[in-house]
Amino acid sequence: MLRNRMVQFLLLYVLALAGLLGLKYGLGLSDYIIPPFLEICRTGLDVTPRYVAHVLNTLSIAILGHAISLLLAFAIGMLAAGKSAIAALVKTAAYNVQSYPIVAVAPIIFILLGDGLLSRLIISVMICYFPLLLTVMGVLSEPVEDIEHFYRMTGHICWGLQVRVRMFENIGKLTTVAVGSATMAMVGTIVSEFIASNAGIGYSIRVALYQSDMAKIITALLWIGVATSLYLILVEWIGNLIHRRVAA
Amino acid sequence: MIPRRLNHAQDGSKRKAATMHRQRIFFAVSMVSLLLWCSPRSLQAEEIQYRLKWLYNVSVIGDIYAEAGGCFGRMGLKVEVKEGGPERDAIKEVEMGYAQFGVASADQIIRALSKGAPIVVIAQLFQENPLQWIYRSGRIRMDKPSDLKGKTIGITYGGNDETVMRTILLQSGIRESDVRLYSVRYDYTPFYQAKVDLWPVYVNAQAPILRKKLEAAGEKTALFNPADMGIRFVANSVITSRKLASDRPDLIHRFLSALLDGWQQAMDPAHATEVLRVLSRFDRDTAPDIMAEQLDATRRLVHPPGTTIGAIDVSSWRQTEEILLQQKIIPHPVHIERFLAPRP
Repeated sequence: MLRNRMVQFLLLYVLALAGLLGLKYGLGLSDYIIPPFLEICRTGLDVTPRYVAHVLNTLSIAILGHAISLLLAFAIGMLAAGKSAIAALVKTAAYNVQSYPIVAVAPIIFILLGDGLLSRLIISVMICYFPLLLTVMGVLSEPVEDIEHFYRMTGHICWGLQVRVRMFENIGKLTTVAVGSATMAMVGTIVSEFIASNAGIGYSIRVALYQSDMAKIITALLWIGVATSLYLILVEWIGNLIHRRVAA
Repeated sequence: MIPRRLNHAQDGSKRKAATMHRQRIFFAVSMVSLLLWCSPRSLQAEEIQYRLKWLYNVSVIGDIYAEAGGCFGRMGLKVEVKEGGPERDAIKEVEMGYAQFGVASADQIIRALSKGAPIVVIAQLFQENPLQWIYRSGRIRMDKPSDLKGKTIGITYGGNDETVMRTILLQSGIRESDVRLYSVRYDYTPFYQAKVDLWPVYVNAQAPILRKKLEAAGEKTALFNPADMGIRFVANSVITSRKLASDRPDLIHRFLSALLDGWQQAMDPAHATEVLRVLSRFDRDTAPDIMAEQLDATRRLVHPPGTTIGAIDVSSWRQTEEILLQQKIIPHPVHIERFLAPRP
């Protein structure tokens, strides 16, 4: 799985780079717009040690953000699953919080928490958790009539049991979404670094943009892709493990 | 009584006259249409895209005044003055053909030229660089560069303020370990909270706003100007593509004449009321008193005594190139003077 995923990613990366270079030479664009292949290689070799460290920094925040998002999405999803007034309030609050664009909320977060690790983490969680929450709420709001009817008739039904039944019956869907949201965690962390932080690969991209240095951005994209692929493989493996355990 | 035959004859001649009259009108209309269709292109307004470096604010007042005041129109140009921003790059747009003219800072231009961007500079909008550092004069003293030692200095990593500050430190023999460099963004909170001693500002844009806020809090401010240390780092300048400059010198001449006319009028204190009225249409968030202060500051940068609006200061451009070379931002000399078009 690891080798396949990496080969797939590298193939796509090389194709995209070839397309970019084709555009450069086809349209006769200067090295300022798209750098030549040799410059990309030179810059890549030059900045890779630094950028790998930055990507790992970003990845560590993304993993933490992803874990918090999962916990948060399941906790809020369970609270909002019922038909009570509290559930309705939680649902409304969850939707309202998400309706604000992160770039508008970010300055408030930075004023309150500074531009360090905590701000990055919060923004990453805010970007990542909502798609998760929607799925969890959707799954937990949908009754599994065949099974729930039995427990209802025998008088054993309770909120906890209802949630467990619905999660068990939809475990495939839930693990797929959890795996998919790993990408969102990475994206969220990079966005937060781009708009506020002084660390991580998002910040490096911002500096490279200031310097109009496309070769650095292309290198950053390579390492972001590698890191994201590795993380996705890990999350997929955990997802499969959970799936197998539950199925057994 | 008029005989019937005579009546018929008169009716016939009337009809003939009316037909001829209609034919003449048709002929005249056709000729006018033909003339209009064949008229030289110069009679029609030529559409131009002009990409600014930054958002609409006082730093682009001459550009928007040239459009709003009809300067471009009088030169037969219909110019769309497009707002810039942090993610916009006028040089790339000019090279890609999305804009015919653009505004970029000198370091951007020299960097682009070192990578073969086919552009030329046709005017230098700021004769003095607006980039300075604001500080609380009640807390620290900044009489000489060595006073920077031990201070926390705000810089935008990758921005021209980083280049300028590193040059000051190098020239003054101050090591990076002697100061604390603080990465700044658009949020001034770290400066308000006094976490940072010196904060980079455009003296004509953010400085009046920060000064007013700190004065309201009972704090005095002053400015640390790199020009006092002999650093003449060129700021915003107008660029176009080399192809357009060689193929359409007439267009360059008309555009530049109109643009500099706009700047001339915008910088004239006699037009201040009208200029502020135009500016407030574009920049709705700045208070009128601040805007008036910003305009005064801009006037001192764009048209200081003894200078000409739009003039290209070749020696300052050479110094800017030397700084970029010294800091290894460009790998080899570009000989910037070869890309500075003399003012028509």
